Amino acid sequence: MLLLVGTIPMEDMPLTYGPVRYQPDKLTIGDYTLEGQYVTLGTAAMISSASATSQAIGSDAPYALVVGDTGMGDGTMKLLKYLVDEMATMKPGVITLHYILPTRDPFINFVNTAHSQEKRPFLIADAGALLNAKAVKMATKFDLFTPDPGEISFLADPEAAHPAYVQHFIFSVDQTEVPKLSKDAYDHGDAPRYMLVKAPTDHIIVEGKVVAKINTPNIPAMEPIGGTGDTITGQVSALIDSGMEVVAACEAACKINRTVGELARPSPDTTIAQFIPFIGEAVKKVLGK
Amino acid sequence: MPEEEQGKVLIVFDYIYHAMRAKPVLEEAGFRAREVAPPPEYRTGCDLAVEIDASDVDPAENVLIEKGVMILDILFMPKGTEFVPVYLTNLMKTVDYGEFLMVRCGNMKITYQKGSGKIVNISGGGCPDIPYLGMKLYGTVIGEGPHPRLLGKTICSYTLEHAYERALEIFKKESKKKGK
Repeated sequence: MLLLVGTIPMEDMPLTYGPVRYQPDKLTIGDYTLEGQYVTLGTAAMISSASATSQAIGSDAPYALVVGDTGMGDGTMKLLKYLVDEMATMKPGVITLHYILPTRDPFINFVNTAHSQEKRPFLIADAGALLNAKAVKMATKFDLFTPDPGEISFLADPEAAHPAYVQHFIFSVDQTEVPKLSKDAYDHGDAPRYMLVKAPTDHIIVEGKVVAKINTPNIPAMEPIGGTGDTITGQVSALIDSGMEVVAACEAACKINRTVGELARPSPDTTIAQFIPFIGEAVKKVLGK
Repeated sequence: MPEEEQGKVLIVFDYIYHAMRAKPVLEEAGFRAREVAPPPEYRTGCDLAVEIDASDVDPAENVLIEKGVMILDILFMPKGTEFVPVYLTNLMKTVDYGEFLMVRCGNMKITYQKGSGKIVNISGGGCPDIPYLGMKLYGTVIGEGPHPRLLGKTICSYTLEHAYERALEIFKKESKKKGK
């Protein structure tokens, strides 16, 4: 079972757990339905993407654990506590942790709980969870990170407490910097075994080494669109949960997201809500399903 | 303590929301303050601390308390301790998409329509307030709607504020050139 975890930018959304189903303009999580702009904001964009991918490949519906949090961290605390208390009952095979407010002890407890399960879940981190894992020196306890260029710069800088403190920031990602930064991050224990670096050329990294690069189709207008990184994380999560080998799943997710861009024909004012409805078609095009 | 024996003092916070307010509050009260990364044992992944002169500790603490800025701890660091400053001013880049301009500061990006100043996209970041800010800022005219610093509570929103300010500066220059 794939469990997608993160916060939703609402003041009053209760802790909600259940199977998810994405439909255009509607995302159902258990008994709760998100509508309108909430379907594609932050964690919800990732969940919608994972659900659309699962539907396209015909695999089981993912589950989600979400809660309202607009930045003070109250919702994040509830999420992490619920995970610690209920993980043994939920028995997730894959957990993807997304938009959360970084914390110390609650986060460390979550990771230790995952590692104490009879069958340890495959752990994926993006967004706030990725920042948190590095800051508390637990990156190697995860299996896959999905960083963008700012986040890989952060992982590669052992002194940086946040991307705002990175001394060497990559703006023009080239063929030299991503491999070097990925190796640096892995060598000093700030990267997991697998990484999918989301950039103009996507890089798949295993134990600090580049094993694949994907750069077509190239859609430059995707960069300003908020959420195009979140959708890759959702896609790769669904593919890994379906049983696909990790590197193959990373490569496929990169191709699917780029194909979505090709189908959506975006401009810099395209929203992620206009992008996600093309995921099903892109999955079928890339995987031939 | 004699001046020459005094080290640096670092104020650390439970919530970035309070850390972001500390520097302007202290500066307004006449103290020197610098935003830096806290020591590793205090880091979570969303971190900001404020360095002040050792001689200012008591009055600075009083000002912060009076203004409702919640402090987690005050650390007296050995003389010669160097803190990592925020590098945001070095992390700016703009990308011209013709009708649109994207301003990137560190890991945060804001894109607006050149003629109208309408914000069309916000990207990057990983904390819960970023999607919230996106929702509040989309469709507003840069400089006329809410600033990220007024609604944000994390260092990602603090970074986004820097991108917003640079975008506003560019937009104002463009408007002035066009005689608006």
